[in-house]
Amino acid sequence: MKVDFWGQEFQVNMWVGCIGGFLIAIMSSMFGFGGGPFMVPLMTVALRLPMYIVVGSSLLAIFFNTTVSTMRHYQFGNFDLVFFLAMFPAALLGGYIGPQIAKRVSPLVVKRVACAGLLLLALNLLGVY
Amino acid sequence: MKKIVFSLMVLSFITLFTVSAPLNALAEETNATGAAPAATEAAAPTITIDKTTLNNGGTIKVSGKAPAGMPIYLEVWAADHTVKSNLFDSKKDKETGKIPYIFYITEEMPAYYKIFVPKELQPKIDAAKKEGNKWSYSALLKDLGADVAYNVPAVAKIDRYQATLMASVIGSRGTLLDPMDAKENKKRSMQLVKSRFRSVGNVVSADVNLSADGSYTADIKIRDGLSPGNYKIVAVSGKDLKSEPAVFENKIGFPTFYLSNAGTSMNLIYPFLLTLVVAIFGVLMGAGGGFIMNPLLITLFPALPHTIVAGTVTPTVLFSQGSGIFNYSKINFISWKLGAGIGCAMLLGGFIGPKLTEMITLDQFKFAFGWILIVLAALMFWQTTPGYIANNKKEQSILNQFKKRAQESAKAKS
Repeated sequence: MKVDFWGQEFQVNMWVGCIGGFLIAIMSSMFGFGGGPFMVPLMTVALRLPMYIVVGSSLLAIFFNTTVSTMRHYQFGNFDLVFFLAMFPAALLGGYIGPQIAKRVSPLVVKRVACAGLLLLALNLLGVY
Repeated sequence: MKKIVFSLMVLSFITLFTVSAPLNALAEETNATGAAPAATEAAAPTITIDKTTLNNGGTIKVSGKAPAGMPIYLEVWAADHTVKSNLFDSKKDKETGKIPYIFYITEEMPAYYKIFVPKELQPKIDAAKKEGNKWSYSALLKDLGADVAYNVPAVAKIDRYQATLMASVIGSRGTLLDPMDAKENKKRSMQLVKSRFRSVGNVVSADVNLSADGSYTADIKIRDGLSPGNYKIVAVSGKDLKSEPAVFENKIGFPTFYLSNAGTSMNLIYPFLLTLVVAIFGVLMGAGGGFIMNPLLITLFPALPHTIVAGTVTPTVLFSQGSGIFNYSKINFISWKLGAGIGCAMLLGGFIGPKLTEMITLDQFKFAFGWILIVLAALMFWQTTPGYIANNKKEQSILNQFKKRAQESAKAKS
Protein backbone atom coordinates (compact mmCIF):
# COMPACT_ATOMS: atom_id res chain seq x y z
CA MET A 1 0.00 0.00 0.00
CA LYS A 2 1.23 3.49 -0.82
CA VAL A 3 0.96 6.18 1.80
CA ASP A 4 1.45 9.89 1.18
CA PHE A 5 2.64 11.98 4.08
CA TRP A 6 3.78 15.57 3.85
CA GLY A 7 5.06 15.27 0.34
CA GLN A 8 6.83 11.95 0.91
CA GLU A 9 5.58 8.66 -0.45
CA PHE A 10 6.04 5.40 1.46
CA GLN A 11 5.53 1.81 0.46
CA VAL A 12 3.94 -0.03 3.39
CA ASN A 13 3.64 -3.78 3.65
CA MET A 14 0.14 -3.98 5.06
CA TRP A 15 0.31 -7.75 5.60
CA VAL A 16 3.06 -7.34 8.16
CA GLY A 17 1.38 -4.29 9.64
CA CYS A 18 -2.04 -5.89 9.98
CA ILE A 19 -0.90 -9.26 11.31
CA GLY A 20 1.47 -7.61 13.77
CA GLY A 21 -1.20 -5.10 14.78
CA PHE A 22 -3.74 -7.88 15.20
CA LEU A 23 -1.48 -9.86 17.54
CA ILE A 24 -0.51 -6.80 19.54
CA ALA A 25 -4.20 -5.87 19.81
CA ILE A 26 -5.16 -9.29 21.21
CA MET A 27 -2.39 -9.09 23.75
CA SER A 28 -2.99 -5.52 24.80
CA SER A 29 -6.76 -5.82 25.08
CA MET A 30 -6.41 -9.08 26.97
CA PHE A 31 -4.10 -7.58 29.55
CA GLY A 32 -5.53 -4.08 29.58
CA PHE A 33 -2.77 -1.78 28.32
CA GLY A 34 -2.46 0.53 25.36
CA GLY A 35 0.20 -1.16 23.28
CA GLY A 36 2.11 1.90 22.08
CA PRO A 37 5.58 0.63 23.04
CA PHE A 38 4.99 -2.43 20.85
CA MET A 39 3.30 -0.64 17.96
CA VAL A 40 6.05 1.95 17.52
CA PRO A 41 8.85 -0.63 17.05
CA LEU A 42 6.59 -2.65 14.76
CA MET A 43 6.07 0.34 12.51
CA THR A 44 9.58 1.72 12.63
CA VAL A 45 11.55 -1.53 12.51
CA ALA A 46 9.32 -4.04 10.69
CA LEU A 47 7.65 -1.54 8.35
CA ARG A 48 10.71 0.74 8.09
CA LEU A 49 8.71 3.91 8.48
CA PRO A 50 10.30 7.09 9.81
CA MET A 51 9.37 8.26 13.27
CA TYR A 52 7.45 11.33 12.14
CA ILE A 53 4.78 9.35 10.38
CA VAL A 54 4.62 6.73 13.12
CA VAL A 55 3.90 8.94 16.16
CA GLY A 56 0.42 10.00 15.11
CA SER A 57 -0.62 7.03 13.04
CA SER A 58 0.28 4.41 15.65
CA LEU A 59 -1.80 6.33 18.16
CA LEU A 60 -4.76 6.22 15.79
CA ALA A 61 -4.35 2.48 15.24
CA ILE A 62 -4.19 1.82 18.98
CA PHE A 63 -7.22 3.98 19.56
CA PHE A 64 -9.30 1.60 17.42
CA ASN A 65 -8.19 -1.29 19.59
CA THR A 66 -8.74 0.44 22.92
CA THR A 67 -12.23 1.61 21.99
CA VAL A 68 -13.41 -1.84 21.00
CA SER A 69 -11.76 -3.58 23.91
CA THR A 70 -13.31 -1.08 26.33
CA MET A 71 -16.72 -1.94 24.93
CA ARG A 72 -16.05 -5.65 25.15
CA HIS A 73 -14.76 -5.46 28.70
CA TYR A 74 -17.88 -3.51 29.58
CA GLN A 75 -20.04 -6.14 27.91
CA PHE A 76 -18.42 -8.90 29.97
CA GLY A 77 -18.93 -6.96 33.20
CA ASN A 78 -15.22 -6.35 33.74
CA PHE A 79 -15.63 -2.61 34.07
CA ASP A 80 -16.08 -1.18 37.56
CA LEU A 81 -17.43 2.37 37.50
CA VAL A 82 -16.41 3.42 41.02
CA PHE A 83 -12.88 2.14 40.53
CA PHE A 84 -12.71 3.92 37.17
CA LEU A 85 -13.84 7.20 38.74
CA ALA A 86 -10.99 6.93 41.25
CA MET A 87 -8.34 6.36 38.59
CA PHE A 88 -9.56 8.53 35.73
CA PRO A 89 -9.03 11.99 37.30
CA ALA A 90 -5.59 10.86 38.46
CA ALA A 91 -4.72 9.81 34.93
CA LEU A 92 -5.83 13.20 33.60
CA LEU A 93 -3.85 15.03 36.23
CA GLY A 94 -0.81 12.89 35.51
CA GLY A 95 -1.13 13.60 31.81
CA TYR A 96 -1.09 17.31 32.65
CA ILE A 97 1.84 17.24 35.10
CA GLY A 98 3.93 14.74 33.14
CA PRO A 99 4.92 16.90 30.14
CA GLN A 100 5.99 19.71 32.47
CA ILE A 101 8.40 17.46 34.32
CA ALA A 102 9.52 15.85 31.07
CA LYS A 103 11.44 18.98 30.05
CA ARG A 104 13.62 18.75 33.14
CA VAL A 105 14.61 15.08 33.17
CA SER A 106 16.81 13.21 30.77
CA PRO A 107 14.83 10.62 28.77
CA LEU A 108 17.79 8.28 28.97
CA VAL A 109 17.68 8.17 32.77
CA VAL A 110 13.92 7.65 32.73
CA LYS A 111 14.26 4.77 30.30
CA ARG A 112 16.95 3.10 32.42
CA VAL A 113 14.83 3.43 35.54
CA ALA A 114 11.82 2.10 33.64
CA CYS A 115 13.88 -0.80 32.36
CA ALA A 116 14.95 -1.80 35.87
CA GLY A 117 11.47 -1.25 37.28
CA LEU A 118 9.81 -3.33 34.59
CA LEU A 119 12.25 -6.18 35.16
CA LEU A 120 11.56 -6.14 38.90
CA LEU A 121 7.82 -6.12 38.29
CA ALA A 122 8.14 -8.94 35.76
CA LEU A 123 10.14 -11.13 38.13
CA ASN A 124 7.58 -10.47 40.84
CA LEU A 125 4.73 -11.54 38.55
CA LEU A 126 6.63 -14.66 37.55
CA GLY A 127 6.98 -15.50 41.22
CA VAL A 128 10.77 -15.40 41.27
CA TYR A 129 10.76 -13.47 44.53
CA MET B 1 -71.88 -7.26 30.24
CA LYS B 2 -68.27 -6.49 31.00
CA LYS B 3 -69.17 -5.60 34.55
CA ILE B 4 -70.83 -8.94 35.15
CA VAL B 5 -67.84 -10.84 33.83
CA PHE B 6 -65.56 -8.80 36.03
CA SER B 7 -67.58 -9.33 39.19
CA LEU B 8 -67.78 -13.03 38.39
CA MET B 9 -64.02 -13.15 38.15
CA VAL B 10 -63.63 -11.34 41.44
CA LEU B 11 -66.09 -13.69 43.05
CA SER B 12 -64.35 -16.77 41.78
CA PHE B 13 -61.04 -15.42 43.07
CA ILE B 14 -62.47 -14.83 46.50
CA THR B 15 -63.92 -18.32 46.67
CA LEU B 16 -60.63 -19.78 45.46
CA PHE B 17 -58.77 -17.99 48.22
CA THR B 18 -61.16 -18.81 50.99
CA VAL B 19 -61.13 -22.47 49.99
CA SER B 20 -57.41 -22.80 49.42
CA ALA B 21 -56.28 -20.94 52.55
CA PRO B 22 -57.45 -23.61 54.99
CA LEU B 23 -56.09 -26.26 52.62
CA ASN B 24 -52.67 -24.62 52.73
CA ALA B 25 -52.78 -24.38 56.48
CA LEU B 26 -53.69 -28.04 56.61
CA ALA B 27 -50.77 -28.93 54.37
CA GLU B 28 -48.41 -26.97 56.58
CA GLU B 29 -49.70 -28.70 59.66
CA THR B 30 -49.13 -32.13 58.22
CA ASN B 31 -45.65 -31.06 57.20
CA ALA B 32 -44.95 -29.84 60.68
CA THR B 33 -46.09 -33.07 62.27
CA GLY B 34 -44.09 -34.98 59.69
CA ALA B 35 -40.90 -33.17 60.64
CA ALA B 36 -41.51 -33.46 64.37
CA PRO B 37 -39.97 -36.92 64.93
CA ALA B 38 -36.67 -35.76 63.37
CA ALA B 39 -36.61 -32.74 65.66
CA THR B 40 -36.94 -34.88 68.77
CA GLU B 41 -33.90 -36.93 67.75
CA ALA B 42 -31.62 -33.89 67.76
CA ALA B 43 -32.66 -30.29 68.28
CA ALA B 44 -31.45 -27.82 65.70
CA PRO B 45 -28.42 -25.81 66.85
CA THR B 46 -28.97 -22.35 68.29
CA ILE B 47 -26.96 -19.23 67.55
CA THR B 48 -26.47 -15.83 69.19
CA ILE B 49 -24.07 -13.06 68.21
CA ASP B 50 -22.71 -10.31 70.43
CA LYS B 51 -23.12 -7.40 68.02
CA THR B 52 -25.05 -6.62 64.90
CA THR B 53 -22.84 -4.03 63.21
CA LEU B 54 -19.22 -4.01 62.11
CA ASN B 55 -17.13 -1.18 60.75
CA ASN B 56 -15.26 -2.44 57.69
CA GLY B 57 -14.56 -5.80 59.26
CA GLY B 58 -13.94 -6.81 62.84
CA THR B 59 -14.54 -9.67 65.21
CA ILE B 60 -17.91 -11.11 66.14
CA LYS B 61 -18.42 -13.45 69.07
CA VAL B 62 -20.75 -16.26 68.20
CA SER B 63 -22.11 -18.68 70.76
CA GLY B 64 -24.83 -21.27 70.93
CA LYS B 65 -25.62 -24.87 71.45
CA ALA B 66 -25.32 -27.76 69.09
CA PRO B 67 -26.81 -31.21 69.69
CA ALA B 68 -24.39 -33.00 72.04
CA GLY B 69 -21.87 -35.15 70.23
CA MET B 70 -22.54 -33.55 66.85
CA PRO B 71 -20.10 -31.33 64.99
CA ILE B 72 -20.81 -27.65 64.37
CA TYR B 73 -20.06 -25.54 61.33
CA LEU B 74 -20.77 -21.87 60.86
CA GLU B 75 -21.67 -20.83 57.34
CA VAL B 76 -21.18 -17.08 56.88
CA TRP B 77 -22.02 -15.14 53.73
CA ALA B 78 -22.76 -11.67 52.41
CA ALA B 79 -26.49 -11.60 51.86
CA ASP B 80 -26.75 -8.27 50.03
CA HIS B 81 -24.08 -8.46 47.36
CA THR B 82 -23.20 -11.06 44.80
CA VAL B 83 -20.28 -11.14 42.42
CA LYS B 84 -19.37 -12.84 39.20
CA SER B 85 -17.23 -15.93 39.19
CA ASN B 86 -16.11 -17.88 36.18
CA LEU B 87 -14.04 -20.86 35.35
CA PHE B 88 -12.76 -22.41 32.16
CA ASP B 89 -12.56 -26.17 32.40
CA SER B 90 -9.75 -27.28 30.11
CA LYS B 91 -8.49 -30.14 32.28
CA LYS B 92 -8.49 -33.57 30.78
CA ASP B 93 -11.33 -35.73 32.06
CA LYS B 94 -9.80 -38.74 33.85
CA GLU B 95 -12.50 -41.17 32.68
CA THR B 96 -13.01 -40.23 29.06
CA GLY B 97 -9.59 -38.72 28.39
CA LYS B 98 -11.23 -35.80 26.59
CA ILE B 99 -10.77 -32.13 27.35
CA PRO B 100 -14.23 -30.66 28.02
CA TYR B 101 -13.52 -26.97 27.15
CA ILE B 102 -16.57 -25.80 29.08
CA PHE B 103 -16.85 -22.27 30.41
CA TYR B 104 -18.78 -21.94 33.69
CA ILE B 105 -20.04 -18.59 34.89
CA THR B 106 -22.29 -17.44 37.70
CA GLU B 107 -23.42 -13.99 38.74
CA GLU B 108 -24.78 -15.19 42.07
CA MET B 109 -21.65 -15.91 44.06
CA PRO B 110 -21.92 -14.20 47.49
CA ALA B 111 -19.38 -11.37 47.75
CA TYR B 112 -18.18 -13.05 50.93
CA TYR B 113 -18.39 -16.73 51.75
CA LYS B 114 -16.65 -18.66 54.47
CA ILE B 115 -17.24 -21.72 56.61
CA PHE B 116 -15.89 -21.75 60.16
CA VAL B 117 -15.13 -25.20 61.55
CA PRO B 118 -14.14 -26.57 64.99
CA LYS B 119 -10.58 -25.85 66.10
CA GLU B 120 -9.59 -29.52 66.14
CA LEU B 121 -9.74 -29.54 62.35
CA GLN B 122 -6.88 -27.05 61.96
CA PRO B 123 -4.35 -29.73 60.83
CA LYS B 124 -6.58 -30.66 57.89
CA ILE B 125 -6.74 -27.03 56.79
CA ASP B 126 -2.97 -26.73 57.11
CA ALA B 127 -2.58 -29.80 54.92
CA ALA B 128 -4.73 -28.17 52.22
CA LYS B 129 -2.72 -24.96 52.47
CA LYS B 130 0.45 -26.94 51.80
CA GLU B 131 -0.90 -28.05 48.45
CA GLY B 132 -0.43 -24.51 47.14
CA ASN B 133 -2.58 -23.54 44.18
CA LYS B 134 -3.69 -27.10 43.52
CA TRP B 135 -5.90 -27.44 46.58
CA SER B 136 -9.42 -28.70 45.97
CA TYR B 137 -12.31 -27.04 47.76
CA SER B 138 -14.66 -30.01 47.42
CA ALA B 139 -12.06 -32.43 48.79
CA LEU B 140 -11.31 -30.11 51.69
CA LEU B 141 -15.00 -29.73 52.58
CA LYS B 142 -15.46 -33.49 52.52
CA ASP B 143 -12.34 -33.95 54.61
CA LEU B 144 -13.61 -31.47 57.19
CA GLY B 145 -17.10 -32.95 57.10
CA ALA B 146 -18.23 -29.43 56.33
CA ASP B 147 -20.05 -30.23 53.09
CA VAL B 148 -23.31 -30.28 55.12
CA ALA B 149 -22.76 -26.58 55.79
CA TYR B 150 -22.16 -25.79 52.13
CA ASN B 151 -25.58 -24.50 51.10
CA VAL B 152 -25.69 -20.95 49.78
CA PRO B 153 -23.44 -21.12 46.68
CA ALA B 154 -24.70 -24.64 45.93
CA VAL B 155 -27.93 -23.21 44.56
CA ALA B 156 -26.37 -20.30 42.63
CA LYS B 157 -27.50 -20.25 39.04
CA ILE B 158 -24.58 -21.33 36.88
CA ASP B 159 -24.50 -20.92 33.12
CA ARG B 160 -22.19 -23.13 31.13
CA TYR B 161 -21.00 -22.68 27.61
CA GLN B 162 -19.39 -25.16 25.26
CA ALA B 163 -16.37 -23.23 24.02
CA THR B 164 -14.93 -24.06 20.64
CA LEU B 165 -11.92 -22.72 18.81
CA MET B 166 -14.19 -21.10 16.24
CA ALA B 167 -16.31 -19.44 18.92
CA SER B 168 -13.18 -18.12 20.60
CA VAL B 169 -11.93 -16.70 17.31
CA ILE B 170 -15.09 -14.69 16.82
CA GLY B 171 -14.97 -13.71 20.47
CA SER B 172 -18.01 -15.53 21.76
CA ARG B 173 -18.36 -17.61 24.89
CA GLY B 174 -19.76 -20.51 22.87
CA THR B 175 -23.12 -22.26 22.91
CA LEU B 176 -25.15 -22.12 26.09
CA LEU B 177 -25.69 -25.66 27.41
CA ASP B 178 -28.69 -26.94 29.35
CA PRO B 179 -28.76 -26.14 33.07
CA MET B 180 -27.14 -28.71 35.33
CA ASP B 181 -28.96 -30.85 37.89
CA ALA B 182 -28.65 -29.88 41.56
CA LYS B 183 -25.78 -32.27 42.30
CA GLU B 184 -23.67 -31.19 39.33
CA ASN B 185 -24.50 -27.56 40.06
CA LYS B 186 -23.20 -27.98 43.62
CA LYS B 187 -20.00 -29.61 42.40
CA ARG B 188 -19.27 -26.85 39.87
CA SER B 189 -20.23 -24.14 42.35
CA MET B 190 -17.45 -25.39 44.62
CA GLN B 191 -14.95 -24.91 41.81
CA LEU B 192 -16.34 -21.43 41.26
CA VAL B 193 -15.94 -20.65 44.97
CA LYS B 194 -12.29 -21.55 44.67
CA SER B 195 -11.91 -19.57 41.46
CA ARG B 196 -13.40 -16.54 43.16
CA PHE B 197 -11.82 -16.65 46.62
CA ARG B 198 -8.64 -18.49 45.58
CA SER B 199 -6.91 -19.18 48.88
CA VAL B 200 -7.80 -21.75 51.57
CA GLY B 201 -7.71 -19.10 54.28
CA ASN B 202 -10.40 -17.08 52.51
CA VAL B 203 -13.02 -19.81 52.55
CA VAL B 204 -12.41 -21.93 55.66
CA SER B 205 -11.06 -21.24 59.10
CA ALA B 206 -10.91 -23.29 62.32
CA ASP B 207 -12.15 -20.93 65.02
CA VAL B 208 -14.99 -22.74 66.79
CA ASN B 209 -14.52 -24.01 70.36
CA LEU B 210 -16.88 -26.93 70.79
CA SER B 211 -17.43 -28.49 74.24
CA ALA B 212 -18.56 -32.05 74.86
CA ASP B 213 -22.07 -30.95 75.85
CA GLY B 214 -22.53 -29.27 72.52
CA SER B 215 -22.20 -25.64 73.57
CA TYR B 216 -19.86 -23.70 71.34
CA THR B 217 -18.23 -20.27 71.08
CA ALA B 218 -16.29 -18.72 68.24
CA ASP B 219 -14.54 -15.44 67.52
CA ILE B 220 -15.29 -14.84 63.90
CA LYS B 221 -12.94 -12.46 62.18
CA ILE B 222 -14.42 -10.59 59.26
CA ARG B 223 -11.55 -9.12 57.26
CA ASP B 224 -11.57 -5.54 56.00
CA GLY B 225 -12.21 -4.67 52.38
CA LEU B 226 -15.41 -6.67 52.10
CA SER B 227 -18.81 -5.76 50.75
CA PRO B 228 -21.10 -3.64 52.92
CA GLY B 229 -24.61 -4.62 53.94
CA ASN B 230 -26.12 -7.56 55.74
CA TYR B 231 -24.28 -10.77 56.42
CA LYS B 232 -25.85 -13.99 57.64
CA ILE B 233 -24.51 -16.73 59.88
CA VAL B 234 -26.10 -20.14 60.10
CA ALA B 235 -24.94 -22.84 62.50
CA VAL B 236 -25.10 -26.27 60.91
CA SER B 237 -24.68 -29.62 62.65
CA GLY B 238 -25.86 -31.96 59.97
CA LYS B 239 -28.23 -32.30 57.08
CA ASP B 240 -31.49 -30.50 58.04
CA LEU B 241 -29.98 -29.53 61.40
CA LYS B 242 -29.64 -25.80 60.89
CA SER B 243 -30.18 -22.78 63.08
CA GLU B 244 -32.08 -19.71 62.00
CA PRO B 245 -29.69 -17.22 60.37
CA ALA B 246 -28.18 -14.56 62.63
CA VAL B 247 -27.80 -11.26 60.81
CA PHE B 248 -25.17 -8.57 61.20
CA GLU B 249 -24.33 -5.53 59.14
CA ASN B 250 -20.93 -4.50 57.81
CA LYS B 251 -20.61 -0.73 57.40
CA ILE B 252 -18.06 1.11 55.32
CA GLY B 253 -17.55 4.86 54.98
CA PHE B 254 -15.53 7.46 53.10
CA PRO B 255 -12.91 7.11 51.65
CA THR B 256 -13.65 3.42 51.42
CA PHE B 257 -16.07 2.51 48.65
CA TYR B 258 -17.59 -0.72 47.53
CA LEU B 259 -16.63 -1.77 44.01
CA SER B 260 -19.69 -3.70 43.00
CA ASN B 261 -18.20 -5.51 40.02
CA ALA B 262 -14.99 -6.36 41.82
CA GLY B 263 -16.87 -7.41 44.95
CA THR B 264 -14.47 -5.72 47.36
CA SER B 265 -14.42 -2.39 49.12
CA MET B 266 -11.35 -0.30 48.95
CA ASN B 267 -9.87 2.93 50.18
CA LEU B 268 -9.92 4.76 46.86
CA ILE B 269 -7.19 7.24 47.80
CA TYR B 270 -4.52 4.60 47.16
CA PRO B 271 -5.46 3.81 43.55
CA PHE B 272 -5.83 7.55 42.92
CA LEU B 273 -2.27 8.28 44.09
CA LEU B 274 -0.92 5.21 42.32
CA THR B 275 -2.53 6.23 39.04
CA LEU B 276 -1.19 9.75 39.37
CA VAL B 277 2.40 8.56 39.84
CA VAL B 278 2.13 5.95 37.11
CA ALA B 279 0.53 8.40 34.66
CA ILE B 280 3.35 10.92 35.17
CA PHE B 281 5.96 8.23 34.79
CA GLY B 282 4.17 6.90 31.72
CA VAL B 283 4.44 10.29 30.04
CA LEU B 284 8.15 10.46 30.86
CA MET B 285 9.03 7.04 29.51
CA GLY B 286 6.79 7.42 26.49
CA ALA B 287 4.63 4.37 27.18
CA GLY B 288 1.06 4.27 28.31
CA GLY B 289 0.59 3.76 32.02
CA GLY B 290 -1.32 0.51 31.46
CA PHE B 291 1.84 -1.54 31.38
CA ILE B 292 2.79 -0.55 34.90
CA MET B 293 -0.70 0.03 36.23
CA ASN B 294 -2.06 -3.48 35.69
CA PRO B 295 0.74 -5.48 37.32
CA LEU B 296 1.01 -2.99 40.18
CA LEU B 297 -2.71 -3.14 40.94
CA ILE B 298 -2.64 -6.91 40.86
CA THR B 299 0.36 -7.11 43.15
CA LEU B 300 -0.73 -4.42 45.60
CA PHE B 301 -4.44 -5.23 45.78
CA PRO B 302 -4.74 -9.01 45.58
CA ALA B 303 -8.47 -8.81 46.32
CA LEU B 304 -9.14 -7.28 42.90
CA PRO B 305 -9.89 -9.83 40.16
CA HIS B 306 -7.60 -9.50 37.15
CA THR B 307 -10.57 -9.19 34.80
CA ILE B 308 -11.73 -6.07 36.62
CA VAL B 309 -8.23 -4.61 36.63
CA ALA B 310 -7.77 -5.11 32.88
CA GLY B 311 -11.31 -3.98 32.11
CA THR B 312 -11.07 -0.77 34.11
CA VAL B 313 -7.55 0.32 33.22
CA THR B 314 -8.31 0.06 29.49
CA PRO B 315 -10.88 2.90 29.39
CA THR B 316 -8.58 4.99 31.57
CA VAL B 317 -5.95 5.17 28.83
CA LEU B 318 -8.60 5.81 26.19
CA PHE B 319 -8.82 9.49 26.98
CA SER B 320 -5.12 10.27 26.76
CA GLN B 321 -5.01 8.50 23.41
CA GLY B 322 -8.00 10.47 22.21
CA SER B 323 -6.50 13.80 23.21
CA GLY B 324 -3.20 12.82 21.56
CA ILE B 325 -4.98 12.05 18.31
CA PHE B 326 -6.87 15.31 18.54
CA ASN B 327 -3.67 17.30 18.97
CA TYR B 328 -1.95 15.58 16.04
CA SER B 329 -5.00 15.90 13.82
CA LYS B 330 -5.17 19.65 14.43
CA ILE B 331 -1.85 20.01 12.63
CA ASN B 332 -2.75 17.25 10.18
CA PHE B 333 0.07 15.07 11.43
CA ILE B 334 -1.67 11.71 11.16
CA SER B 335 -1.73 9.43 8.17
CA TRP B 336 -5.38 8.42 8.36
CA LYS B 337 -4.91 5.79 5.70
CA LEU B 338 -2.07 4.05 7.53
CA GLY B 339 -3.56 4.44 11.02
CA ALA B 340 -7.02 3.27 10.08
CA GLY B 341 -5.65 0.43 7.92
CA ILE B 342 -3.70 -1.12 10.75
CA GLY B 343 -6.44 0.03 13.11
CA CYS B 344 -8.96 -2.27 11.41
CA ALA B 345 -6.76 -5.27 12.13
CA MET B 346 -6.37 -4.10 15.73
CA LEU B 347 -10.11 -3.70 16.00
CA LEU B 348 -10.49 -7.44 15.47
CA GLY B 349 -7.81 -8.17 18.04
CA GLY B 350 -9.47 -5.88 20.55
CA PHE B 351 -12.71 -7.77 20.00
CA ILE B 352 -11.17 -11.12 20.88
CA GLY B 353 -8.78 -10.17 23.68
CA PRO B 354 -11.23 -9.30 26.49
CA LYS B 355 -12.91 -12.68 26.15
CA LEU B 356 -9.59 -14.41 26.66
CA THR B 357 -9.06 -12.40 29.85
CA GLU B 358 -11.95 -14.12 31.59
CA MET B 359 -10.91 -17.56 30.36
CA ILE B 360 -7.52 -17.51 32.02
CA THR B 361 -6.77 -17.80 35.72
CA LEU B 362 -4.93 -15.20 37.73
CA ASP B 363 -1.77 -17.30 37.69
CA GLN B 364 -1.81 -17.56 33.90
CA PHE B 365 -2.45 -13.83 33.73
CA LYS B 366 0.56 -13.11 35.95
CA PHE B 367 2.78 -15.52 34.05
CA ALA B 368 1.97 -14.06 30.63
CA PHE B 369 2.19 -10.50 31.88
CA GLY B 370 5.57 -11.25 33.43
CA TRP B 371 6.95 -12.26 30.05
CA ILE B 372 5.35 -9.29 28.29
CA LEU B 373 7.08 -7.00 30.75
CA ILE B 374 10.42 -8.70 30.14
CA VAL B 375 10.01 -8.09 26.41
CA LEU B 376 9.06 -4.49 27.15
CA ALA B 377 12.09 -4.06 29.42
CA ALA B 378 14.26 -5.40 26.60
CA LEU B 379 12.70 -2.86 24.22
CA MET B 380 13.39 -0.11 26.73
CA PHE B 381 16.97 -1.28 27.11
CA TRP B 382 17.39 -1.30 23.35
CA GLN B 383 16.27 2.32 23.33
CA THR B 384 19.13 3.22 25.66
CA THR B 385 21.85 1.64 23.49
CA PRO B 386 24.18 4.16 21.76
CA GLY B 387 23.26 3.02 18.25
CA TYR B 388 19.59 3.59 18.90
CA ILE B 389 20.19 6.96 20.51
CA ALA B 390 22.25 8.23 17.56
CA ASN B 391 19.62 7.06 15.14
CA ASN B 392 16.85 8.42 17.31
CA LYS B 393 18.49 11.86 17.40
CA LYS B 394 18.36 12.02 13.63
CA GLU B 395 14.79 10.78 13.60
CA GLN B 396 13.73 13.24 16.27
CA SER B 397 15.24 16.19 14.40
CA ILE B 398 13.43 15.15 11.23
CA LEU B 399 10.29 14.68 13.30
CA ASN B 400 10.60 18.17 14.76
CA GLN B 401 11.26 19.65 11.33
CA PHE B 402 8.14 18.10 9.87
CA LYS B 403 6.11 19.01 12.92
CA LYS B 404 7.17 22.62 12.56
CA ARG B 405 6.10 22.65 8.95
CA ALA B 406 2.78 21.09 9.92
CA GLN B 407 2.19 23.60 12.67
CA GLU B 408 3.02 26.51 10.41
CA SER B 409 0.71 25.35 7.67
CA ALA B 410 -2.06 24.75 10.21
CA LYS B 411 -1.55 28.29 11.43
CA ALA B 412 -1.53 29.67 7.92
CA LYS B 413 -4.82 27.96 7.19
CA SER B 414 -6.54 29.43 10.20
